[in-house]
Parts: sequence; structure tokens; C-alpha cells
Amino acid sequence: MLTGRQDVGLEVLVAAQEPYAVRELGWLGLLGRFIRRKPLGTFGMGVVLALSLAAGAAPWLSHYDAEENFYVANPAYVPGTFEPEQKLDARSGPSWKHWFGTDQFGRDNYARVVWGARRSLGVALGALLFAIIFGTAIGTVSGYFRGWLDMFLQRIMDCIQAFPAMLILLLLVALTEPNLVTLSMGLGFVALTGVQRIIRSAVFTAREEPHVEAARAIGCSHLRLMAVHILPNVATPIIVVFSIGLGSIILAEAALAFLGLAPIEPPSWGMMLNEGRAYMMNQPSTMLAGGLAITLAVLGFNLAGDALRDFLDPRIRLQ
Amino acid sequence: MQQYIIRRVLLNIVVIFLVITAVFIGLRATPGDFAVHQAASQVTAVHTMDEAIAVVRHDLGLDRPILEQYGSFVADFFRGDLGDSFITKQPVMAELKDRLAPSVELAILQILIAVVVSVPVGILSAVRQDTWLDYILRFFAIFWLGVPSFFVGILLLYFLARWAHWSPPITDYQDFFRNPWVNLQAMVLPAVVGGLAVGAIIMRFLRSQLLEVLRQDYVRTAWSKGLRERAVIMHHALKNALIPVLTVVGLLLAAVASGNVVLETLFNLPGLGAYVVNAAWQDDYPVVQGVVLLIATGLVFVNLLVDVAYAWLDPRIRYG
Repeated sequence: MLTGRQDVGLEVLVAAQEPYAVRELGWLGLLGRFIRRKPLGTFGMGVVLALSLAAGAAPWLSHYDAEENFYVANPAYVPGTFEPEQKLDARSGPSWKHWFGTDQFGRDNYARVVWGARRSLGVALGALLFAIIFGTAIGTVSGYFRGWLDMFLQRIMDCIQAFPAMLILLLLVALTEPNLVTLSMGLGFVALTGVQRIIRSAVFTAREEPHVEAARAIGCSHLRLMAVHILPNVATPIIVVFSIGLGSIILAEAALAFLGLAPIEPPSWGMMLNEGRAYMMNQPSTMLAGGLAITLAVLGFNLAGDALRDFLDPRIRLQ
Repeated sequence: MQQYIIRRVLLNIVVIFLVITAVFIGLRATPGDFAVHQAASQVTAVHTMDEAIAVVRHDLGLDRPILEQYGSFVADFFRGDLGDSFITKQPVMAELKDRLAPSVELAILQILIAVVVSVPVGILSAVRQDTWLDYILRFFAIFWLGVPSFFVGILLLYFLARWAHWSPPITDYQDFFRNPWVNLQAMVLPAVVGGLAVGAIIMRFLRSQLLEVLRQDYVRTAWSKGLRERAVIMHHALKNALIPVLTVVGLLLAAVASGNVVLETLFNLPGLGAYVVNAAWQDDYPVVQGVVLLIATGLVFVNLLVDVAYAWLDPRIRYG
């Protein structure tokens, strides 16, 4: 269930360098074609947009603070006794005041879902950036130089891949006190092998192209060849990796938070799912809010990524 | 064939050495000695924190020269000595042995369920390509890929308890050979949830493989000989489509192990996954390290077996 390791059959991404379709249709026409051809992908894109909006505008979308504890009048209150005037508004179901109900500390579930989007997307974005920067570097060097360097780097990648992703993250938790930055780096490290494999196979093709050969013939250095002449050719695979990877990273982060091994401070969906599980038989609102948020996010990113891959892969576009 | 197997075995030994080295570097390269501090806070025989840290560093062998540390680390591993737990002070290996059986059983059940469900569904989906049946089956597969298995597990627990008034025997785990009925009751939910999640991946892969094979010339020949659909699909197409699927099943075992860490914790199965999560909770570094080493080397071996089986089934591989 975890990370981009499942993309076994997908290393065949060849870069569509010159987007002819863009020239013919323009960007708006291209968007129209995407919507017509990929209804599920469009749904995914919609979810991705909505989540990005939630993450960006969290303070304005949620009228409550995610950590605020809410109280309601205590019906058992009698003046002069020890019974308090107000009691915690905890474990309530959906209401007009709290759209998704409240959790065991009387915090607003809707606010926590919205702020959770910022945390999930932030961590996933950081992780993917880490994976893409290092994955592109390793994949490009490995695919460009080939020979013993490629052999050496790929054996190291095999070794990382021998570890189940979850166990690498558990090792990280046991070795350090993870904060959001180290957590992102850990998640990025896990996603690294898949990214570099896709980039590497794209570089294999790109380095044989005539314009690269021409550049080599006029005496460009290796660095310039890689950075200026080859890297633009692998732009499409990078976009695809980006959209496909986010879903699985969000899932991995949610799983860690669910196990109680991720930082607790910004609210997280996985944590809501875990906490809500304890009292779901009385009030499932917290459990459902957290679980549905994870599901929607992962599904949205997967659908959008799948559709984008089909759309950008030139071999499929020709059919 | 022999040469191929020897080459694979040698390569896998290299990978196992790299795995051990990576885990070895893990503790030495992290700044801050967090694990050491954690252990030192439990040492009660000495007076100051510095002394406690020195004791723990000595126990872990961190005060010796780095090459000597590496040598004894590797030697200990092959002797089956994975160090002692920070918390219980017991050898990690002894505790692991009791925990292995439920995890292996769960993984086997999951792969079994995954194959039993995904192979017929994948065939159906490929043979009836682009019909409504194909669309529905593919949608279910995509859906299962996106839904987190632990959420499905919780929902199942919730609705089974609410409507069927049944919940698995979560507090009282029984060994399969002692009490198979109770054991299977505890296993059924995580096995189905995890199995279907893996099955969705296998189904999608089998479908695309089968679609490719169905367009081959020899399949067209089989059709034009006048064979029935069943014979063409089962005898001619499926055999070749299943071979790559086998490799994917091998690769998926890592995903299965990852997923089961969460599922075992959720369903309270006393397997390796629940054990390692608990250890990570308590910052019990040697236990986490031991489980990681055991599972990673185990997976390397299983993948080796899959590779050999692959070469045995598909003669083209040997000369590749």
C-alpha cells in the first residue's frame, strides 16, 4: 500500500519534448480535451485543487482555531454545588456550529480537517521535493555515465528498496525525535528509488538524441550536457512522478500519524482517525472525518496522476 | 540456468551486506545520539547522566574503533545475535522468534486472497476490455488502491460490531496449530483488507499484461484454429501473462510488510509489525534495528527465490 514502489510497469516514460498538441490547441483547448477524455482524472484534479485551496486558505476557511476547546452549558448545573456551569462539548456529532462534530477534547473536527490539509500537503510536498531533487541528480548521473558508476548507484538503490518503506520510517523514529522537516526528509528518502529509476530510464533515451550528440561534438562539458541538454528532456516524467508520488506519500504520513509516531502539533488526519477510533461506537464523527479526508486526498491525487500520465505519455496520445 | 542462479545468489549476498551496512551506519551517522540518551535514561545503577551514557555506549560497543564495531556487528548478525532490548534487557532474537509466526501467517493469507481474487478479475477485465464490466472492475481496483487499508479495517470493525454484533477475538490471540478456529477469526479481517489492497495492484498489472499477450500472433493463430475462447485464454494467453505477474508478487512483499505493520497494530495481532511499532514508541532502538534487519534480509531471499522461479518458468530470461 505504500510509496511509489508499485509503479513496476511504468519505467517506460519517454519524454514528450515538443508538445505538438499545445501548438495546435492552445492551453485552453488542451484543458478541454483533458476534461472530455479523462472524467475520473478531472474529478481527481478537482479534489487536488480543493485540497490545495484548503491548505492555502486554512485560516480563512475555518472560522475556529484547530486547538480551541469548546464548551456548552451543563444541564446538570445547580448554583451553589460543585457541578460546573459549563462542560466540555466533546464527542458531538455534526451540527450547525460544528459541521463535522467535535473530538474528545471538544475541538472542532472541521477546523482540524482543514488545518490537516495544510500539514499533509506541506509534508508531502517537502518530501517529494527532496525525492525529486536527489532522485533527478542520481538518475541523471546514473543514466548519463552508465558503466560501473551506474552499476554502483543502482546496487545502492536496490539495497534501499530491500527495506519496506514503513520500516525505514520506524528506524528514523527510533533514531531521532522526528519533527516535520526530518519526517519529510524520511518520506522523501523512501520515495527516492522510484523517482530515480524513472528519471534514469528517461535519460537513457534522451542522451542518444541527435541534439545531445551535436552538443557533445562541439565539446560541451558533462555538466553542461546534463543540465542544459538532457534535463529539459526529462521534464515530463518529473511532472508525472510529482503527481503520482504525492498520493502515496500522504498515505505513508497518515499511517505514521495513525500509529502515533509522527509529530502531534499541527493537526493530522491520521491522528484524528486513531483518536476517533477509541470512541467510534458512541460517536464516529471524528473517525469518519479523519478517514474520509485521507481517502479523498489519496484517491484524488492517484486519479489525477494516472490521468496526467496517460495524457502526457506520447505513445498513448497517438492512439 | 546454474550460472544464472549463481550470479543472482552472489548479487543478493552483496545486497544483504549493503543492507547490514546501511543499518549499521544508521545509528552511527545520526547526530545527537538520541537512541543512546534514551537508553541512558533507564540506567539506574550509576549517578550522573554522563556516566549512564558511557555505560550505554560501552554496551552498544560505540566506544570501540569503527572497523572493529563493523566486524563484530556483521559477525553477530550471522550468528543470530541482534543485541538486547533497551527496555526488557532480553535478547532481541529470542523475542523475534515468538513473533514471526503470526506475521508470516498473515502475509501468506493475504497473498493467497490477493491471487485468488485478482487473477479471475484481471482475466475478466482484460477479456471484456472496454465493456461496462471492465469499467466497474477497474474502478474498484483504483478505488482499493486509494483507500487506506487501516481506514477500511476500522470501518469493517465499526459496521460489523454495529450491524452483525460481531468483533474479532482481539484480546485473546491463539496459535493456529493450537486453536485454528479462534486464530482464523482474528486473522480474517486483516487478511481480507490487506489481501484486497495487494490484489488491486496485481489485477491491474495482470490486465495490462494479458491485453498485450492477447494481441500476439500466436494467440490469433489459436483463435483461427477455431479453439474455444476458454482454451485460447487459459492455455495460450494466460500462461505467458502470468509470468511477469510472479515478479510483481515478489516485489509486492515489501509493500505487504509495510502495510502489515499498521494492520497488525490495528487488529492487535502479536506479530513483528505490532512489536516493532511498540518498540519505536518506546525508542527501543535495538529491537527496531533487529526487526528491520530480519525483514529486509528475509525479503531479499524471497525475491531471490522469485527470480529463480521466474528463470525456470521463462526460458528467455536465462540468456538475457
